[in-house]
Amino acid sequence: MSEDSLILYEEEIKQIEKIISKLLKGAEAKCGLLVDKDGHLITRQGFTHSLDTTALAALLAGSFASTKEIAKLVGEPEFSVLFHQGKKDHIHMSLVGERSILVVIFDDRTTIGMVRLCAKEAATDLTKIFEQIKENSKASAQPSISGEFADGAQDKLDDIFQD
Amino acid sequence: MVSINYSAREVCCKIVYYGPGLSGKTTNLQYVHEKVPGNTRGDLISLATEADRTLYFDFLPINIGTINGFAAKFQLYTVPGQVYYNATRKLVLRGVDGIVFVADSQPDKMDENIESLANLEENLREYGYDINDIPLVLQYNKRDLPGVLSVEELNAKLNPRGVPTFEASATLGKGVFDTLKLIIRLVLDKAKNSNKNQRKPVTAASLSKEPAASPPVSPSAQPVPVTPVKEPSAPPAAASPSPAPVTPAPKPSPQPQPQPVSAAASAAPQPQVASPAVATESPQAATVGVAPKTKAPVAGTKPQPAQPAVSNPDGEAYRPYPGSTTGKIKQPVTSQEQSTASVTGGVRPATQTQLEKSNEHIIPQQQQDSDHVPIMAPSMRRRAEKKKRGFFKRLFGIK
Repeated sequence: MSEDSLILYEEEIKQIEKIISKLLKGAEAKCGLLVDKDGHLITRQGFTHSLDTTALAALLAGSFASTKEIAKLVGEPEFSVLFHQGKKDHIHMSLVGERSILVVIFDDRTTIGMVRLCAKEAATDLTKIFEQIKENSKASAQPSISGEFADGAQDKLDDIFQD
Repeated sequence: MVSINYSAREVCCKIVYYGPGLSGKTTNLQYVHEKVPGNTRGDLISLATEADRTLYFDFLPINIGTINGFAAKFQLYTVPGQVYYNATRKLVLRGVDGIVFVADSQPDKMDENIESLANLEENLREYGYDINDIPLVLQYNKRDLPGVLSVEELNAKLNPRGVPTFEASATLGKGVFDTLKLIIRLVLDKAKNSNKNQRKPVTAASLSKEPAASPPVSPSAQPVPVTPVKEPSAPPAAASPSPAPVTPAPKPSPQPQPQPVSAAASAAPQPQVASPAVATESPQAATVGVAPKTKAPVAGTKPQPAQPAVSNPDGEAYRPYPGSTTGKIKQPVTSQEQSTASVTGGVRPATQTQLEKSNEHIIPQQQQDSDHVPIMAPSMRRRAEKKKRGFFKRLFGIK
């Protein structure tokens, strides 16, 4: 692919979660997600148990991608912040680094200004972590999945996908 | 690229169904959604027009279970087939791991098939992918209709690369699973042979304690051919998978304190806005990160001291979400409390009477100021001062 691959380990995830938790506390938001532009969920914090975060991640990434194309049409390289306003809940999305999107879901207990401020700070911290991760991943050999895993998956598929 | 999350122990692949309009891409997903057991799939999300034509994409997540300790997840996408929607079609291809090209077997659709295939190649190229390098399966759909072209004819026009093909009838379900199984197999085989894997969607709930104590995903034994496209940064050394990549060992321990990488900081060097006391004063803020961890903060689970009130620009105090911080509803905070809290670093201020009793000179000047109405027109201020003087005169019996 045209981009560097990225590996996140436990400790990096912990750092990321810590930052998002701090953001949620500071902004009094409901939950926060970190999604990559391909639509994969990286991590989540807050009240997410009632959310289908997998689908949410895919749709948010799609939304961000389409907005990027809109930006290009009006002569902007990218819109770095998106805000969806609802009756009760609102979504604030901001770009983190080059490939991730920080999503904050909040309601009227807080304000967009507060969320935006805290998200901006969090994005700065997260960007530093991602740069560090990028450095590390360049230095380390990258593992791949084993044939054993592929074979195991095939067996499972035969079980599940039966007409 | 297959995404491998060592923290959540997940392997996640993105598979896209591509093809001309009305060739049956969405029908493929609908059949899979219908037939696969509910516990292995998520909801089918369809971003479609009123007339049920795909507008952006359809999305179906599938989790086939745990293999060698890793959950195998697949995300199935379709694209809008109509020529008109090429902009959105291209977006769906981002980060794709494998492609199923669904061709319409009817003779009058052949031109559309060819055009769509060329469009696929072009769109992939724009992302820097090579169609010859990505797992691809051709599905000749609508075989149940009369008068369809023979497989040989279809192969001659659509399959010069000799990729695997399947005859299918998506409405009847024929060939749907065969296609899906094969593309998954090809994707995993490619990941196996590739020395690169990456990302890591993490389901917080499944976070394990150690990155990968027992490496379920072991390094592939065979030498890993450096994949052609990929980033130039992949060092040739990476072609030989080092031992136990999953264990924490090979990973250069990333120190949480990264020196700011100035060069790469191109990504949004956002100016650090001077945040109001709100963002920094909370004594809990520093401790939050670890606590909630995998589960959402549950009401009353965290015995924490009362946090200082957080105010919004309007000067109102918020109630925290039930249980989100202290587990109790916070009472509205007076402006007196807020201003004092911001000065005293979150310590709950003494009551007004206590303050009066204490020596006034001990109270920081800032706080004294904050006790007064901050902004006032000059005339009003004069009037207020005069009134205050009158009060003290009366109080101390000064004539």
